[in-house]
Amino acid sequence: MHIPDGFLDPAIAASTYIVSIGFLAYAFYKAKKTLTPEKMSMLAVVAAGVFAAQMLNWPIPGGTSLHFVGGALAAILMGPWLGIASIFLVLLVQCLVFHDGGITALGANVLNMAIIDVFVGYLCYKAACKWGGGDLAKALGAFLGGWLGIALAGIACGFEIGFSTQFPFGWTVTVPIMGGWHLVLGIVEGIITSSVVLYIAKRAPELIAAERG
Amino acid sequence: MISKNALILIVVLVLVSPVFGVILADAVGYHEPLDVAAEELGLSDITDQLNWTPLLDYTVPGLPPEVGYIVAGFIGIAIILGLCLGISKLMSGK
Repeated sequence: MHIPDGFLDPAIAASTYIVSIGFLAYAFYKAKKTLTPEKMSMLAVVAAGVFAAQMLNWPIPGGTSLHFVGGALAAILMGPWLGIASIFLVLLVQCLVFHDGGITALGANVLNMAIIDVFVGYLCYKAACKWGGGDLAKALGAFLGGWLGIALAGIACGFEIGFSTQFPFGWTVTVPIMGGWHLVLGIVEGIITSSVVLYIAKRAPELIAAERG
Repeated sequence: MISKNALILIVVLVLVSPVFGVILADAVGYHEPLDVAAEELGLSDITDQLNWTPLLDYTVPGLPPEVGYIVAGFIGIAIILGLCLGISKLMSGK
């Protein structure tokens, strides 16, 4: 889902940068108010873990490929603001050090994976926990968060590259492709997110920020 | 405790990552939905023309792709942990 250089026109690149910088500034402002050394350690571990997990590409013979994104998981574990900060750190290092994701597309990649995926994941988990506090609700919330977070991030990505070309109706091609595939591939993200959240909920429930408030 | 387990998991993930990120990706042909959408619109990836890093796509000059992928993984993790440490120090200094 990392958009490379060359896919976005200047208007889309600039507008997604502006939106993402606004969210990042607010996220760092909110995170700074409540940041403790423990939370900073958690942020470091989650960011490093997401970076490592994203290196595992899963090629599907005859079809397409995917890798774990982790925005929903980061949000459930740390809340949306630290979640945004952690995925942003991952995307920044991937872009600047490995050129995975274009520098002109960093704003769009942050918007899709560090903002949309994070917020959708967090809101799904919170909604499920309100509905019921048991393991089933947690598993369902984390699954939906991982799944829908990826699907909506994919749809946003489809709009960004669809609106960016010289073809005025490019989004009618890209949105169904991106949305359709990510609705299917997102199921894997949902299963991984749900499994990790359930594991941590049993071993160390105090680490799950989305259950605290 | 969870951090120690998490760090072990991270190391294991990086060590097995070439199986998924290099060997299987080459064998099957890594092809994300984004590539499919870009092909439909005729968009071209200009990463190679615009590149600034010797570690492009998790490769390390002089190393075989599988080993380079692991080294690149640890470099990325070290930078992320270093950035977090730097942010921590900046904030505690205030």
